[in-house]
Amino acid sequence: MIRIAAVGDLHYGAGSQGILKPGLEHLPDRADLLLLAGDLTRRGNPEEIQVLADELRGLPVPIVAVLGNHDYHCGREAEVRRALEGAGVRVLEGEGVTLNINGVRVGIAGTKGFGGGFRGAHGSDFGEPEMKAFVGHTKMLSDRLERALTRLDGVDLRIALLHYSPIEGTLEGERLEIYPFLGSYLMAEAVDSAGADLVVHGHAHHGTEKGRTPAGIPVRNVAQPLIRHAYSVYTLNGRREAQPAAAGGIS
Amino acid sequence: MSERPDYLPEHIREKLFHDPRVAEQDLKVDVKERRVLLGGNVSSLQLRHTITEVAQELLPGYEIVNETTVVPATEPGDEEPVI
Repeated sequence: MIRIAAVGDLHYGAGSQGILKPGLEHLPDRADLLLLAGDLTRRGNPEEIQVLADELRGLPVPIVAVLGNHDYHCGREAEVRRALEGAGVRVLEGEGVTLNINGVRVGIAGTKGFGGGFRGAHGSDFGEPEMKAFVGHTKMLSDRLERALTRLDGVDLRIALLHYSPIEGTLEGERLEIYPFLGSYLMAEAVDSAGADLVVHGHAHHGTEKGRTPAGIPVRNVAQPLIRHAYSVYTLNGRREAQPAAAGGIS
Repeated sequence: MSERPDYLPEHIREKLFHDPRVAEQDLKVDVKERRVLLGGNVSSLQLRHTITEVAQELLPGYEIVNETTVVPATEPGDEEPVI
């Protein structure tokens, strides 16, 4: 069994120091892996992420993250990424990583994702260049997500880590008018095509924690203002029997 | 900034979101006569205070009523078996 801790939308900024750290104290006893579902800063300022990076540094579990829209605001997302990597966090964007956790190979594919809406009401890359760019961005990231998931060959568990939501189900509670800015069904389609055991996302602070893709894959919205804890923990049974020796190696 | 009551709350919400000291998208803003009601979730008590200060700068002479909630970040309860 693999225990996955996950949280998104921490929105670190001035005065955030120490907000998360007390809640992480017992994480190593409760989880084998920590997933961060984007919006780790308020404005994507490297000083903001450094505060969080310092709180994550040294946690004795692998940490895998995607960035969120806030982390792009200052146009310094590469620096945000480097600060996280400097603290030992693996940051994914259209990529995958395989972790060997107690003999179970856990594959994680991650992307920020983007918006557009959901089946029957999705935007089209038609008309103005701005609209083409908007929907085109979602299509590109969804394609990359599908490829990254597919490339996680030979894993026992496959997880998709997103910031934006792939389904409407975990948006319930949000205003309908903003659904197109909260996610896109294209990411659900990517996940359902490639296959996964769990999808984790953030972004929807007023949404719902639990949902499923049309193919039935569990989706969890871990936006911190929604879960109202330092993280949530989900357990997944690996397809292989757990073996005692190897822990936490990144391949 | 427009003083029209129809647009003022949205202008304040947008300015709070773009202020680097706040950068909080989740705020709800309502203006009734000379009273500004702020709601929503914030991550820290310090941010809550900052929001009041910035709102006061934006609308001097208005009463700022900050009803935002600081979201706890404590350890979670039970784990959830997913599969």
